[in-house]
Amino acid sequence: MKASPLSFALVAALVANAESFSAADSKTNAPVCACCAVKVDAGFRPAYTDKSLYQVESKWTTDGGQAIKFGDLAGKPQVVLMFFSKCASACPILRDDLKRISAALTPEQRAQVGFTLVSFDTERDTPEVLAAYRQAWDLSAKNWTLLSGKPDDVLELALLLGVKYKKDAAGQFAHSNAITVLDAKGEIVHQQTGLNEDISETVQTLVKLVKN
Amino acid sequence: MNRHGPNSVASAAFKDWNRNWFAAIAVLLGAAIPALGQTPPPGMALIPAGMYHPHFRSESDPKEVRVKSFHLDILPVTNAGFLEFVRANPRWQRSQVKKIFADEFYLKNWAADLDPGSNAPADVPVTDVSWFAAKAYAQWKGKRLPTVAEWEYAASASATRPDGENDPQFTALILQWYSSPTPAVLPAVEAGATNFYGVRALHGLVWEWVADFNSAMISTGSPEGDGSDRRFFCGASSQGARDVNDYPAFMRYAFRSSLKADYCIRNLGFRCAQDL
Repeated sequence: MKASPLSFALVAALVANAESFSAADSKTNAPVCACCAVKVDAGFRPAYTDKSLYQVESKWTTDGGQAIKFGDLAGKPQVVLMFFSKCASACPILRDDLKRISAALTPEQRAQVGFTLVSFDTERDTPEVLAAYRQAWDLSAKNWTLLSGKPDDVLELALLLGVKYKKDAAGQFAHSNAITVLDAKGEIVHQQTGLNEDISETVQTLVKLVKN
Repeated sequence: MNRHGPNSVASAAFKDWNRNWFAAIAVLLGAAIPALGQTPPPGMALIPAGMYHPHFRSESDPKEVRVKSFHLDILPVTNAGFLEFVRANPRWQRSQVKKIFADEFYLKNWAADLDPGSNAPADVPVTDVSWFAAKAYAQWKGKRLPTVAEWEYAASASATRPDGENDPQFTALILQWYSSPTPAVLPAVEAGATNFYGVRALHGLVWEWVADFNSAMISTGSPEGDGSDRRFFCGASSQGARDVNDYPAFMRYAFRSSLKADYCIRNLGFRCAQDL
């Protein structure tokens, strides 16, 4: 069976959190994860840092139809963009900004970075629509994650990212143009605003976050 | 010469009159039917369905937004109410709260985690709470935060009429409050005026969080949108003010646009809403 990107992400998350677990595990005698010999407690509740966005309890659906928690993205830096697939103005430019950022990394660096698109459009951007979007714009299954969620959870995430948005009568969204870099723990380390901006600072941030 | 003369005017007037009555009856029924048998939960008032006229809107936005009938807390959440919440949810106590969900001013005027103290009397609106904390409180109560449309719609009612924003005296009173400094100890919730719907203290005590406060998009001093915002906001320029006389609504819009969800502010509290 082919391993899905999600299971990679989960394993990555487990590995990433191994350090923060080990201290508590000796006291609690937690069970050991079969796949990677990491001790986990029954509920798998990683100890996120105080400023980690991964503390949110919201659940999301990937364009592959898999349910994930936002914290499942932990383990590697993520470049996060909130968008919607029917956007005809800013979002295509922002998506291309993400692709430019990806292209500016070496293959080794790129493999250690995730790109995550989260849709504002909770009605129209179903997993199927996002899967078609992935295909249309050739977004690699290896490190691009496309998420849809519930209105409340989208709002909460937008607020954590400092993103403003508003649905208009035609069902389009006015929104902030912001590309955010989260480190492996889910803390915001950099945000670039605007369209078609100079990406060098964002790229430098990512290069510092990965093993070179 | 004019064969249609006064008669047709009269008949048109009659038709108009008729249509108006039908419309009025339809509106009344529309508001009354969903509300039938819907006694508001204790401490909440029924806000009947109606039209909200956004103060700020872009060219693609409708002139009015239909607000479905809903229940709204009669009073803002008090320190006593919030104490109950933090007792039941220790992760929202001042020393426990995660920094990402509330800045360093969270419950700053309380004496201790479980003691509001003399600066935050029991019957005074709770303030210095973030949007995340307000939302968590609402969820714990089985409620939610009102939307901008719901809040503004309910708050546009004066003591005597639902469209108080057209009453210069009502607007003047609100402005008077906006221009007064926040007192060291806020007034008790009971001091707030009761509006047409029986909701109290929507104006005059504290500003209030709404669910979608981040829908207000102003980043420069130009509400007319000179294009300078286009870089940062997709589709947000060309928003214009509907009624320049409704300055309080403009101030609330500007205030909301300056907020971040983790902000805890001395004169910013909240109340909850609920679907029927």
